[in-house]
Amino acid sequence: MKHLIPEFERMKRRLPPGHDATLLLPCLRRIQEDRGYIAGDDIDGLVAYLGVPRIQVEEVLSFYGMLRREPIGRWHLQVCHNVSCSMRGAERLLDHLSGRLGIQPGETTPDRRFTLSTVECLGSCGTAPVVMVNEAYHENLDAADLDALLERLD
Amino acid sequence: MPVIFINGEAVDTGEHRTVLQAALANGFYVPHFCWHPELSVVGNCRVCLVEQEGRGVNIACNMPVVDGMRIETDSETVRAQRKAMLQFILLNHPVDCGICDKAGECALQDYHYAYNGEPALSREPKQKGTKFYPLSSRILLDNERCILCSRCVRFTREVSKSNVLGIEYRGDSALVRPAEDRTLDDDPYSDNVIDICPVGALLSRSFLHQARVWYLEPTPSVCPRCARGCNVQLWHRKPEWRLKGLDPAQNTRILRVTPLENPRVNGPWICNRGRDLGEVLERPRAEQALQKGAGVTMMEAIEATRALMAESTRSIALVSSWASNEELRAFRNALGDNFTSFVKPDRLPEEGEVVEDELLIRADKNPNTRGAQALFGSDPPEIPEDADLILVWGEGVDFGRLPRGAKTVFLGSWLLPEVGHADVFIPLSIQTERRGHYTNFEGVVSAFESCQPRPEGVIDAETLFPLLAAPGAWGRG
Repeated sequence: MKHLIPEFERMKRRLPPGHDATLLLPCLRRIQEDRGYIAGDDIDGLVAYLGVPRIQVEEVLSFYGMLRREPIGRWHLQVCHNVSCSMRGAERLLDHLSGRLGIQPGETTPDRRFTLSTVECLGSCGTAPVVMVNEAYHENLDAADLDALLERLD
Repeated sequence: MPVIFINGEAVDTGEHRTVLQAALANGFYVPHFCWHPELSVVGNCRVCLVEQEGRGVNIACNMPVVDGMRIETDSETVRAQRKAMLQFILLNHPVDCGICDKAGECALQDYHYAYNGEPALSREPKQKGTKFYPLSSRILLDNERCILCSRCVRFTREVSKSNVLGIEYRGDSALVRPAEDRTLDDDPYSDNVIDICPVGALLSRSFLHQARVWYLEPTPSVCPRCARGCNVQLWHRKPEWRLKGLDPAQNTRILRVTPLENPRVNGPWICNRGRDLGEVLERPRAEQALQKGAGVTMMEAIEATRALMAESTRSIALVSSWASNEELRAFRNALGDNFTSFVKPDRLPEEGEVVEDELLIRADKNPNTRGAQALFGSDPPEIPEDADLILVWGEGVDFGRLPRGAKTVFLGSWLLPEVGHADVFIPLSIQTERRGHYTNFEGVVSAFESCQPRPEGVIDAETLFPLLAAPGAWGRG
C-alpha cells in the first residue's frame, strides 16, 4: 500500500487534525481497488500509517462484507438474491452459474477466472434480476443472457 | 447546580452531568448494562430507559442534565419499554443460569427477575455461539451469554490501553474477539473484564465452577504485591456454609480476589498479580519454632532469642516491608532501643513481571515500605562486620551474605531455606490471619481484616515483640 500514501495524504488534508482514524474505511477501499483484496501487510501498513490499533482494522474488515481478506478470480460475479431479484428468478440464475462454472457461491474456479458470490440488494430492483460483474451491472437477465455474458468474459 | 425532578422529588445534580449518574447518586436505581462509571458512554444496551416529561422515553446514560427537567424512572411506559428491551437482550441468550458462574451476581439475571420475568416471546431458534473461547490463559469467553455491551472492549481501549479486544462481524453474528496477533495475556489488567462483564460471558479460569457465589463472602484486604496497596476483597466460604465432609482447608481457602473500590488508591481496578495472591500467601507455611534447625517450643525460641539479645553488643534488625503499621510500631516500642534497624525490601520484581506502569503497578514490590521507613528511616541496610546479632524479619535476605560471626534470628511465615539456617527461627502469622494497616507509596493508609485462622504454633508479631523485650512477660501473657 506504500505507493498509495500520497493519495491518502490528500484525503487526510480534507479532515480536521486528529481524525486520522476516519480514513480507515476509504483507505481500505482504495487498497482493495488497487490490489484486489486486503493483505496482512496492508493491515500492518495501515496500523502504522493511521496509528489505529490492529483490532480496529479487523473490526471494520469483518463488519463490511464487501471488504476481502483473500484474492478472488479475475471476474467477480455477484448475484443479487434479495426480494425483487429472487421473485424474478435469481436463484435459478445462481444455480445456472454454479452448474456452468462448477463452483458454489463463495468459491473461485481453479483457473482463477471466476468468483461467484451472492449479495444483498444492489439497488436495481426495477431491472431485476441483477448480476454485478466486477464494477458493471447486468440487468434483466435470464440463463441465455448469462451464457452470452460468460462468453464475453475471458 | 441544576435541579431536576426524579419521580417528583427535587434532586440537586451536583457535579453529575447525566441523568443516570444523578439518579444513581441520589438513590434512584436505574438498571444499566453497558454504562460503567469509569468507561465512555456508548448507550448500546438501551435498558436504562427513563421518561422525560414532554420528551418521551430515552436512555438515561446519555441524557444530559438540564435544569428543571422532570424524569420518571419507573412509569408505566418505562416499565413496558424496559421489558421489551430485555426481550431483545435475551433474544439469543441461553438463560443457562443453572450452570453459569455469574449466577447470583449477574445483572442480567437480576433485571430479568425484577423487570421482565417472562419467557421469550420469540419463536425463532436462538443463535448459536462459541462456548469457552479462550481469550487468554486466564479468561474464557462464552459468546452465547455475551450481550455485546462492549464494556470489556472499552476497558482494553480506555483503561488498560492494551487494545486487545474488539467486536467483529455484525448483527447476530457479532462476536467479541481479540486482535489476530494478540491475546488477553498481553494485558496485565485483563481480569478486570471478568468483574465488569454484566453477564456470565467472561469467565475466570481459576474460579470456573469452583463455588457458587452465594456461599462466599468477601473480607476487605490490601494487596501486598506492590507499593500501590490496592484494596481488594478476598472471597472465601461463609462460616454458615462450612463444609463438613471435605478437606477443612476448603472452608478457609481464598477462592478469588476482586478489587475493593477505593478512589484514592486503585479506583475499581486491580492487576492480574493481585488476583493471584495465592501464589504468595498459600506457599507452604513454617509452623514450627526452630533452634539451629531443630524443633523447639515457641517459649524456648523466645528465651533463646532473649539470651542472644542479652549477649549481643551490636544488634542489627532488618525490618520487613510486609509488616503492618501496628507490627512496626510494636517492634519500635518494644525493641527499638535494642537494635539498629533498617528497612529491607522483602520481595523484588520477578522475571517476566511488569515492573512499573502508568496505571497501578509500582516497582517496589512490597506493601508497606513507606510505613516502615516512617519509623525506621530510609537508609539502605548496612550491616557492620562486627555485628554479632542480626534479626531478619521477613523474607528477601541472603543469609550467606551476612557477617559470618553474627548470630541470626529469623522471623518468617513461609517454609524457606533460611528457616533452618538461622540460630533461632520464630514462625509469624500472615496478613490473612490478623488485622492491620499498610501505608501505600502515596501515604494512603488502607486496612485489612483477618479471614483465616492462625495455624497452631504461629505467633502474631505484635504479640511476640513485647515478649522479647519484657522479662517474665511470657508467663504473664
